[in-house]
Amino acid sequence: MSPSAPDLVELVDETMRGVFAQLDTWRTGIEAALAAEPRAAALDDAVAKLVLPVLADEDSLLVGAGFIADADVLGTRGVHFAWWLGPLEDNPVLGATTGPTRLDLSTRGYTEYLRDFRSLEWFRVPTTTFQAHVTGPYVDHLCTCDYILTFTSPVRLPGDGAVAGVVGADVAVKRLEREVLPALLRAERPTAIVGEYGRVIVSTAPGMPVASIVPDDAKRFECATAPFAVVPSP
Amino acid sequence: MFAQLSDAGRAQQVAQRLADGIALGVLAPGERLPSEPELARRFGVAVITVREGLGILREAGLLRTRRGRDGGSFVATDEDDGRHGLLNTRLHALSQVEIDDIGVYFAAIVTAAAERSADRAAPHDAPRLSAWLADAGFDDAASARTTQSGFFLELAVLSQSPRLVREQIRLQADLGPVLLLGLTSSDVRRDALAQNRRIVRAIAERCPAHARDAAAELVAMLTARVLAAKGRLEKGTGRDEPLSA
Repeated sequence: MSPSAPDLVELVDETMRGVFAQLDTWRTGIEAALAAEPRAAALDDAVAKLVLPVLADEDSLLVGAGFIADADVLGTRGVHFAWWLGPLEDNPVLGATTGPTRLDLSTRGYTEYLRDFRSLEWFRVPTTTFQAHVTGPYVDHLCTCDYILTFTSPVRLPGDGAVAGVVGADVAVKRLEREVLPALLRAERPTAIVGEYGRVIVSTAPGMPVASIVPDDAKRFECATAPFAVVPSP
Repeated sequence: MFAQLSDAGRAQQVAQRLADGIALGVLAPGERLPSEPELARRFGVAVITVREGLGILREAGLLRTRRGRDGGSFVATDEDDGRHGLLNTRLHALSQVEIDDIGVYFAAIVTAAAERSADRAAPHDAPRLSAWLADAGFDDAASARTTQSGFFLELAVLSQSPRLVREQIRLQADLGPVLLLGLTSSDVRRDALAQNRRIVRAIAERCPAHARDAAAELVAMLTARVLAAKGRLEKGTGRDEPLSA
């Protein structure tokens, strides 16, 4: 039987719930590690132990994950990235990797112009709203140089509950496509799954190509877990 | 800048990357470079290759080496000779027809990104880009180069195309300092900033054709400056002057 629009909403929500549940588990681990007032290196080890097994999985939905500490939380100068990338296919900027690698910002000299990473959506929104947030789909030129969604959730310091940073995970659009395209292709009508601003993430509708923005008046079936929606062709 | 290197001519590539970093202002005059083993690790090459690359830069007058406890390789300062040496050397090595062709390729990448951005940007993107541009430095050569590079990259990001982003990054790493040498001149900076603003306006108005035209004019202007600098260099005038003065 063809999946209905609400069926597709449930499929997307189920996938998103998996990512958010993963972030919650990691946040608990990171907050526990922060309670010991660790130095940066000790916290890096703790984060690596959490995220590396997931990233190393060949079929992982996640292409990057980690913790980004606000300036001064770990006594580091500026924001501190404890962030790892999953295996990357060959690409002209980053080269191919077969296992997880740590993000080394010194290899991203072209991001010099960004000045303050805290002003970027994936850091700014969760640390000011205290809510989990999904950024994208967007081209990420900091980590993967690919079209991705970034899930981030605030991490609080033990004691006063001040925001220490964000725990996050990146999902490549091309990987997410594998999760939802089979069902989308079986739907009665060509259909798009859209993210924030109605930007198309996965689509079987020629009139709504990936990365375009669907019209404001398109009929939407909203997802519960993220600002996503299922948009059938009119 | 420190992304791993893969091809032949590695010492030249090491020298090139560091020279680009110096020309872009990422490595400031007087700044001490990371140690040779550290550079080797970052570039993914042997220490001997790094040493050879540093030698090329020293020859070109872009680096000073000091011995002793506080020794190491330092970026040459304006008081040192030959700060423009390597850029001159690169410009000299490029033929006019190559520079013209680089301009064609550069224009293809930038105009496509600008056009697509105007088509695909979300409503909040243009105001955000506009605010960023208003705050970014454009008053001196180094900050204008950083901002202009960042602006081109942001355009590629707004186009939603990972391939355009990668091409832009690669282009900047390979040729950024040459392409943007015109920004040494305050007139060019003024005109470039005006074109950047035109592009942002076209994105806000969702007008791909205008965004494309403004981007094409900007790249044509920058390329013309590279050709003019090449001409001056070959005539033997202005060898000791900033390239686009």
